[in-house]
Amino acid sequence: MRRTIQITVNGMTEKVPENATLEILIERFQEADPALIVELNGRYIYAREYSTTRVSQDDRVEFIHPDFGG
Amino acid sequence: MNRDEHGSLTEEQKTRYRRQLAIPEIGEEGQIRLRKARVIIVGLGGLGSVSSYYLAAAGVGCLRIVDHDTVCLDNLNRQLLHSTADLDRPKTESAAEKLRRLNPECSVEPVRVRLTDNTRFDLVEGCDLILDATDNLAARHVLNRISLARRIPLIYGGINGWNGSASTFVPGETGCLSCLFPSKGLRTPATGFPVVGPAAGVIGSIQSAEAIRILLGMSPALANRLLNFQGKSMKFRTVHVGKDPACPQCGPSSRG
Repeated sequence: MRRTIQITVNGMTEKVPENATLEILIERFQEADPALIVELNGRYIYAREYSTTRVSQDDRVEFIHPDFGG
Repeated sequence: MNRDEHGSLTEEQKTRYRRQLAIPEIGEEGQIRLRKARVIIVGLGGLGSVSSYYLAAAGVGCLRIVDHDTVCLDNLNRQLLHSTADLDRPKTESAAEKLRRLNPECSVEPVRVRLTDNTRFDLVEGCDLILDATDNLAARHVLNRISLARRIPLIYGGINGWNGSASTFVPGETGCLSCLFPSKGLRTPATGFPVVGPAAGVIGSIQSAEAIRILLGMSPALANRLLNFQGKSMKFRTVHVGKDPACPQCGPSSRG
């Protein structure tokens, strides 16, 4: 069995598989959005890095869905 | 009349702006800076209704207001500048009337045009700031190209449902709108985004405050940050965002 780690997602504590990528988290937390903005530990992550960026214990992830109406 | 470029404020202006002249960052000097400023506001819907009204009230000397549309009944839950009597009027006309009525010292320049890839960059000629109050991403990409070409800061704002977002892009200093929203494939719903009126009020107000800051010479508070308002949970969040070295619009050559 894979080990799990604890991270914070949008301010909530969550258990996720160790070494999970942002891509996996986006799917797991149903955050998919072509305009999604991801911040990991205060750092902006480009969309092309979602599949290679892995989270570690105590990481903080924020998912933001920007708005485009006026 | 009251627009002597170098002069001090008139007695009437001192009274009209008294409550903001008392703010340390404004004072007479700041008020004169506002009076000399020209801001282009693109879109006179929910966001533009609020930001144009606040900026005219604050004494921004010139507002160039842009929209191609006419006032519809289903605009009126959130587009506070227009009223039932304005149905079918061009939004530029309805808005210009209200803004002039609010502050006759504000020079209002209505431009009735739709933003497209062919929009001429001189739309923003002479402007210190571009305020995005459009209702779709394609128009925002047009504004971004103009902002980069003319090196004029762009204040983005957008709303959807209970929520809204805002950020500021300063050419040569921060990333651009395209760094943040490279996706071109986002579609606007045929019936428009659903919106609860106050979401437009919140984001339009934030954009206005940011515009006033920048015109006063303060640093843009939303540079390299994306602010997100969630109206259902009444939460604000800001996340750090940055310049994308691979951005096709602002690229690696313009310094970050």
